[in-house]
This record gives sequence, C-alpha cells and structure tokens, in this order.
Amino acid sequence: MPRLTVESDGVSIDLLDGETILEGLYRNGYAYRIGCRRGGCAICKVDLRKGEVIYDHPVADAVLPADERAGGACLSCRAVAVTDVTIALRQDNLRRVSTLMALYAGSRTG
Amino acid sequence: MAVMRMGYMHVRVTDLAEAKEHYGNTVGLYQTLEQNGRVYYKGWDEWDHHSVVIEEGGVGYVKCGFKCEKPEDIAEIERKTIEFGYPVVRMTAGENPEVGDGIRVTLPSGHEIEFYSSMTAYGLEVGTHNPDAFPRHMVGIGAPRLDHALLWVNDPEGIEKFFIDCVGMFPTERVRTSLEDDAHTIATWLTLGESNHDIALLEAPENKIHHFAFEMRSWDDILKAADIFAMDDVPIDIGPTRHGITRGTTIYFFDPSGNRNETFSGGYRCFRDRPVVTWTPDQLGKAIFYHSRELNDRFLTVAT
Repeated sequence: MPRLTVESDGVSIDLLDGETILEGLYRNGYAYRIGCRRGGCAICKVDLRKGEVIYDHPVADAVLPADERAGGACLSCRAVAVTDVTIALRQDNLRRVSTLMALYAGSRTG
Repeated sequence: MAVMRMGYMHVRVTDLAEAKEHYGNTVGLYQTLEQNGRVYYKGWDEWDHHSVVIEEGGVGYVKCGFKCEKPEDIAEIERKTIEFGYPVVRMTAGENPEVGDGIRVTLPSGHEIEFYSSMTAYGLEVGTHNPDAFPRHMVGIGAPRLDHALLWVNDPEGIEKFFIDCVGMFPTERVRTSLEDDAHTIATWLTLGESNHDIALLEAPENKIHHFAFEMRSWDDILKAADIFAMDDVPIDIGPTRHGITRGTTIYFFDPSGNRNETFSGGYRCFRDRPVVTWTPDQLGKAIFYHSRELNDRFLTVAT
C-alpha cells in the first residue's frame, strides 16, 4: 500500500493498490482543482518530487509531453503510485471538504 | 437553406476500446464503420452514414463537417470564403469515407471545418415506412442525433462574421463585455435555424473544443441519461440543469479520454428576425448554469 505525501500541504495518506492519486485524495476527503478526471485536460497536473508512478491508461502527448514527464510532471487523475510518492500541488492547496470521508479513510495529516 | 446542420464531429481519443464502450454502449450510438483506427457512428434518428468519428491517438478536436443541401451551395461558400480571406481547399469524395466532394476551411483558430453535400444514406433506425416512435432496443442513453459544438477560439467576433457572411448562420445570443455599442463579444451562439445553436464560440487562450452535444428528446431523457452515467461511472461535469443561454436543459460529461460531451434538450424556436439576446459578464453564472447561478471553474479551464 503506497504512502502518498503532499509536500505542499503537509498531508499524508495511504493509497489503495491500483488507486490513482486523485482517487486516493478524494477518498480521504480532500479536494483540489481538477477537470475532466479522464486525462484529457491537464488541469490536475502535479509535480512528482519522490517515488514512481505508472499510467494504466494511455496518456496523450499533448497533455503530458515526454519532457514534462521527465521533469516530474504527473497527471494525478491517471497516475498510480508503485512506490511511496511525494507530490506538490501547482498553484493550489488541498482543501479538506469532508471530515467524514477522512474519518472513514483513517487518514492523518502530518 | 444552403447549409442544413452540423453533420459530423471528429475527435481524438486516447484509448479506442474505452471510447467505443462510451460512444456505443453509454451514448448509444450505432457503429457504421471501423477502418484505419477510426470508428464511425450515427444516432438512431440520423439517416446519413455517420455523425461522430473517433480516432485513436491523443485527445481533442480533429474537425467537424456541415452538410449543405446542394453541391452549388458548397461552391457559393467557397467563393464567399475566398472573398472573406480564410484559407479554403477542396476535398474529394472518399477523403472522408462515405462523404462526397466538398471544401475544407481553416479558421484563424486553426480549427478545420468541412462543407459537403452528400453522404451515403444509411437510414433511420425506425425506418420511414409506418415508423415507431423510437427504436425498441435502445442502448445506453439512446442519443438520437448530434446537435452542436462549442469551440474555444482566439477571435470569436471575426469567426462569428465568417459563419454569418459565408455560411448563412445568425446569432441568437452573445456574451458581451457590456451593453455599450463598443462592447467586445466574449462568446456567441449561432444557428442555421433548425437547431437552437449549431455552433458556439468562446474567446479563450487556446484553440480547442469545449464540448460537442447530442440532442435528447426531453428533460425526462436528460434525467435518465444522468442515471445511465451513474451506472457506467461517467464523470459528470455538471447537471442535470438548465442553461440561461438558449434555455436548454443539459448535462456536461466527459468521455473516457476527457473530451467533454453534452446532452441537450429544449431551447426556443429560432427565426432570422429574432432579436439577439445579450448577456453581461456579471451574469455569466446564471447565463451558463441557470439554477446554481455559479460558473464552476471547469467551464473556463477544461477543454481538449
């Protein structure tokens, strides 16, 4: 079960196996600026600071060009962590929109 | 009327198998051809060979086509477009499978728009001899037909003029910076007269497609579509709700590649002498999403 740390907000959660970064954060009661949730619009792009992710769907080059990907850009709606990962949001903050979801998910802030 | 309707929309999808599941089983279009990584679809209440084309590789707009009544109409649009100053090239029958000769215009936004007057007839799903009201075994939301598209463009005023002067459209509604005469058009809704709008243009930093829409028969069908989207885990952007602009009822949703689709129903009859409605930016929330009266940030940020 990979651990996700959001460096920009000091938040840390466990990701379920196969879960995307976006799904994990929403399951834990957090929201941030997202768009289509299907890899088409690039609005939910974050910076991957540590760790590795894979994409279980094809991602359009126009959305995530190879050089950006190499530079750490990560499409959070499609990225599945394969190791513990640390990310930073871009010009945005995590918002805790559901304390109930956070309780159910047993998340903790660090 | 020279130009009749938006006849087809062609978009890219990242994963053809997932897109086929969406457009075939969720939207309920009928596949008419699969060839060279492209899949062609029609709605049940459409008679031409296809109205939607999906192509594997990338995401977003490829082109759209408008169907003219007669070949002479294409020649007239070509002449007017050359005079207008937008680049236009001829396309030959077969360049698009099952589509006849035509022209391709490139807008200053880079969007390619095709005009044609013949496409292989395929037939209505209910036929034309003593037809029933709808196909008995509709799939998914059973979208009857392609309706319109909203494009993100760099110059809505200039491109609006093209659609008016060369294509024969007229505006029904606009968003303007103010009610003063020297106001600037931010967005415009244009019709050929049958659909409430055939194309809409929104001023944006990038030249993309915001959405393309299917016309549904009723608000009831829009609600049922939302239920089907829940069953099929389709991400809903907003709705079911109503637009202030056009008064149409709507759901915005995303295909599996993130292209925005819409189910649209209603709106008013459009006549060429209907006064143009103007909306001002302070009322943009109500103009776009009539019930919540708030724009979600995705409306102005998400396009492919």
